[in-house]
Amino acid sequence: MSKRQLAMVMDLNKCIGCQTCTVACKTQWTNRNGREYMYWNNVETYPGDGYPKKWMELGGGFDAAGDLQPGIVPNIESDYGVPWDYNYDSLAEQNLIAGGMTPGLHPDTTPTWGPNWDEDQGDGDFPNDNYFFYLPRICNHCSNPGCLSACPRDAIFKREEDGVVLVDLDRCQGYRYCIAGCPYKKIYFNPKISKSEKCILCFPRIEQGLPPACAQQCVGRIRFVGFLDDEESQVYKLVHKYKVALPLRPDYGTQPNVYYVPPTEAPPKFDSEGKIIEGSNRIPIEELEKLFGPAVHDAIKTIKAEKEKRKKTGESELMDILIAYQHSDMFRLDNHYYQEVAKAKGMKPLAPVDERYIQGKHTKISHFKVHS
Amino acid sequence: MKKIVQISAALSLAASALLAETVLAVKVDTDLSGFKCKDEAVKLAKFTEVALYPQTTIKLNDKKANELNSANKAKRVQVAALYDGKNIALILRWPDKTRTVQQGYKSDVYGDGFAVQFATKFDEPEKLPYIGMGSDGRPVVIYLQKAVAKVYEPNADGVVGYQVNPHNTNRFGEDLEKFEKRVEQLAIRDYQKAFVSEGFRSMTEIKDKSAKYSADMHYVDAKKMWGGAVVRPLKDEYANLDKGAIPVALAVWDGEKLQRDGQKYLSGWIAVKLVGKTGGNRLAEVVNEKAKGDVAKGKELSMQNCASCHKFPGSSAPEYMAPDLSNIGGQATAAYIRESIVDPNAVVVPGYNRNSHPNFQWYMTDDKGNRTSTMPPFDYLDKQSIEDIVAFMQTLKAEVEK
Ligand code: SF4
Ligand code: SF4
Repeated sequence: MSKRQLAMVMDLNKCIGCQTCTVACKTQWTNRNGREYMYWNNVETYPGDGYPKKWMELGGGFDAAGDLQPGIVPNIESDYGVPWDYNYDSLAEQNLIAGGMTPGLHPDTTPTWGPNWDEDQGDGDFPNDNYFFYLPRICNHCSNPGCLSACPRDAIFKREEDGVVLVDLDRCQGYRYCIAGCPYKKIYFNPKISKSEKCILCFPRIEQGLPPACAQQCVGRIRFVGFLDDEESQVYKLVHKYKVALPLRPDYGTQPNVYYVPPTEAPPKFDSEGKIIEGSNRIPIEELEKLFGPAVHDAIKTIKAEKEKRKKTGESELMDILIAYQHSDMFRLDNHYYQEVAKAKGMKPLAPVDERYIQGKHTKISHFKVHS
Repeated sequence: MKKIVQISAALSLAASALLAETVLAVKVDTDLSGFKCKDEAVKLAKFTEVALYPQTTIKLNDKKANELNSANKAKRVQVAALYDGKNIALILRWPDKTRTVQQGYKSDVYGDGFAVQFATKFDEPEKLPYIGMGSDGRPVVIYLQKAVAKVYEPNADGVVGYQVNPHNTNRFGEDLEKFEKRVEQLAIRDYQKAFVSEGFRSMTEIKDKSAKYSADMHYVDAKKMWGGAVVRPLKDEYANLDKGAIPVALAVWDGEKLQRDGQKYLSGWIAVKLVGKTGGNRLAEVVNEKAKGDVAKGKELSMQNCASCHKFPGSSAPEYMAPDLSNIGGQATAAYIRESIVDPNAVVVPGYNRNSHPNFQWYMTDDKGNRTSTMPPFDYLDKQSIEDIVAFMQTLKAEVEK
């Protein structure tokens, strides 16, 4: 078990679905070499089938007794959607020769699914009670990771120093039990190198005191990052002090370390006359309960009460935190801490503390003469 | 007089039964180092039929694969061996109705494949390594070949951290051009690996080129069969196989049934006799031994002593309580079963991950990090009872596919 745990809180009231986070992550980590279809960070519209398609129905995670549940490995074509490209080259040529063909930009395959395929569809009756909200998802760096439990090769590990869950790419032989075991389907198979890859919580940035790229780039400033045992961190306050940030699908039993402030600020419903139904909320509470468990009721109560308090007294620490004035307050990543870890390991302070990601955790300690 | 004749007839029967399960490695004059399973030299090989049983010891969590494999029978595989004084070649032929190849753009397709496993130490054949992948202090070396499609892949050289964005020509310019050329050179990827292993989760790929070997497989459409071969030196730093007989184990994977890793067909230890070399009889005896116990009594004893934890037909054990013994008779030697009953710590099968099923821990870890089995030793049972149990356990195996 990790000694410390890094966590992220995402305030769903503020996510505008702009996908800046997705792009920040994608351009940094997963743009090619078999990673084309991987979205370590994706933002899906809820309700919706999400990415991969119907991920909540694909199994994995643990039952109430703590036993790992079987799951399904999604298919690139039907469940993720083949990443398509456009006919840029032929377009350019056509423009030059101005020939008979109809110029136009079209995909090079016929797409059938993709990340955020059901963008902004939502549910309900327009305009009476329709609704949706955005749900950004990354690997939860779970305390009891389903992916890790499922791996028969011990290729997945949780770092002692911050609880980041990584795939040891040297040990991974591409069996894909981890994908079946993760109920969030947040670990992906790279078919070109036959290994699993996943969100690394930008550990090379974190070790330098920088937040993950998705969090830093987020225009909605919805993401807070810090250590769960650091009482000064806003993450600690949102999760432990105010208890307004909750894990997604806690019923999966993986103990996620990405927390969500549930969406409370949906507009009211209209009646048949088109008038506002006072006190109504478009987002059905059952949906929120399904996503965040029964604790969502108290979380919503707290948020509403603090909002009222702010209106009346002008003061509320919780509201101040959620407004997210300063990046420096939102992210508390003590890079001294990592420098100390590096020093203790006798490593250069600038190198990533963890080289196992590419080198292999066990290869070096094997009894056999096998070098990395 | 009549009696003596009968006895000697029985003896010679026993001897031929022994031989039938022993593979004869034929000595050849040609150099085998570049041997492929299609080569002419195959004609010199003597094929022996061996049954490979579905591996059921542990259960993995792929829902579809578990459904597809739930009714698996044992598979007949033909095995032969050749040696040239320096190298030994193991040749396999096995039926597979569907040719399945792992592709570079699919996430849920698994290639057919096979593996050959050699024990590193086998002077004491009663203590051969755990058949799955060796065990503590009883290492194995494994050669694996999988059917893969050739992929245009810059990471074919195993450098997984390598990534260049081809659209970023400003940044990379000439470097990018060089890079693309290199990618082209590296594009052909074969899935061929050698591993060393001392038990579950210790299996480690040999990447430093210290293991010289070659492997290949090809599909014969007309017969719906795979052929495969592994060639390795008789002697290297991992094992010395230059002996009268050596223990070998085989595995095949059927990609169509989403098989990979533990989901596979696996033989028990097979004795491969190097024709022309002396010794090795003891090994052949041990791996082919049929325990002289009373099966019916053994069944009764097993129901009393084993069935509350281990799964096998008739037992009531919950799924993850302990290793599933349904195919133990197809995969373990009598000596191994005997040893496991009286000394469960000799070989600990740890389960695939102790986090997966925390309710049933298969082992404990002592202060020194040694794994000790949670199974108590049944060393208080008398010798005959143990033999009876072993005899019964040896009958536990799936039916062989027609
Ligand atoms: S979200 Fe999935 S991939 Fe990430 S740690 Fe949890 S189980 Fe593993
Ligand atoms: S960048 Fe922020 S606001 Fe935009 S989609 Fe991502 S999480 Fe939501």
